[in-house]
Amino acid sequence: MKFSPALGNLVEALRCLPGVGPKSAQRMTLHLLERDRAGAMRLASALEDAMQRVDHCSRCRNYTEQDVCEICSDPRRDPQTVCVVESPSDVMAVEYSGGYRGRYFVLMGHLSPIDGIGPAELGLDRFLERVAEEGVTEVILATNPTVEGEATAWYLTEALPASVNVSRIAHGVPLGGELEYVDGNTLAHAFSGRRRVERPA
Amino acid sequence: MTAPCAASATTTAERACGVRVQLQPSWLLHSRPYRDSSLLLDVFTADCGRLGLVARGVHRRSRGGSLGAHLQPFRPLLLSFSGRGELQQLTAVEAPGAALGLAGERLFSGLYLNELLVRLLQRQDPHPELFAGYGLTLEALAEEGEVAPHLRAFESQLLDTLGYHLQPDIDASSGETVQADRCYHFDPESGLWPAGVAQPGGAPVYPGHHLLAMARGDYRGEVARSAKGLLRQALAVHLGDRPLRSRELFRARLTGEGRG
Repeated sequence: MKFSPALGNLVEALRCLPGVGPKSAQRMTLHLLERDRAGAMRLASALEDAMQRVDHCSRCRNYTEQDVCEICSDPRRDPQTVCVVESPSDVMAVEYSGGYRGRYFVLMGHLSPIDGIGPAELGLDRFLERVAEEGVTEVILATNPTVEGEATAWYLTEALPASVNVSRIAHGVPLGGELEYVDGNTLAHAFSGRRRVERPA
Repeated sequence: MTAPCAASATTTAERACGVRVQLQPSWLLHSRPYRDSSLLLDVFTADCGRLGLVARGVHRRSRGGSLGAHLQPFRPLLLSFSGRGELQQLTAVEAPGAALGLAGERLFSGLYLNELLVRLLQRQDPHPELFAGYGLTLEALAEEGEVAPHLRAFESQLLDTLGYHLQPDIDASSGETVQADRCYHFDPESGLWPAGVAQPGGAPVYPGHHLLAMARGDYRGEVARSAKGLLRQALAVHLGDRPLRSRELFRARLTGEGRG
């Protein structure tokens, strides 16, 4: 053992971060000790605070330290429109796009039988109850355009009552992209989902 | 001239499942994230059977970002990989054709096939005929028409591949062909027995004419229900205690419909 026990523990603990191996963990530890003890204390208290207080929102399952998250409790947001996404980072992505004013439901994954993830693990029952309770009129299915994401979207389409408008986000060519480099499947989707161009009369 | 060619062909085949393989026809069965931007793949290849591969940097933009779009189930792939042992390294991906358009419930059926293969096939055990059968079944699923007969035919082929050939038309008590007008029950160990002889309580019963149709490879119409039950019983022995999760998907959906 080259390090003192406390130092060794810290190196080991840092390795729980994704992409951090023994070498990077050691570099981080030494950096914090030598150059940024104040930052390290801030990190320690922020970590402890977040781990103890952050839990899932009781409505949308996104992370929050309150019972109901900010988006769900914001009165300016349309409570009748719900966008279903796979992960909290998808919520961030949609929020940054700035165009959406409804609420969310975060699945924290997708249906994946081989990984043992079924409807119960994703809280789909809870979501269907919420749709009925809150009088949701529109559901936007924004799960990823992967096989599992499509299966999840289809499952919800089948389970949602007919009175709810269900839509699936469009798949197609990215802005600024070039057709030549777009994968054939995506291009096929872009063609089958093409839109009529509105022309001035 | 033919002899050396044949010899070199065998050595290529022997070498095929180690070191370096180029453009191997494959289907992706399952993938899960690994580290920052990599994936662990479970693939079914034509010549090497089921394999575990590591695909590095799939989500990295510098690699064009389109690798993830190619690496999807139900899409014919040509994979190049290298290495030895349990986990080999993916070196190149080509998608020679478009993904099969499995939509809606047919996606669930596809996921069911994949779960069956992941659960029942050993790694690095080549099954070229089953590989072909899997491709044909997926193509059939992508078309219009009934799904169930194709699933049953695949389950039956899978049992054959595993070395447990199911003989739905043989009466295990006499060794003769089953009679169309009698009923039978199925014991996974020994086969079909006439109903009523040492039959455990509540065991499903299969009419003889359904069994004869199954033996002809006909799983349509009223045979479908019996075939589903019989093949499920036959597969259950190999699946062990852990149930197939994709079946729950169908079941949950059906109860949902009943509720609504």
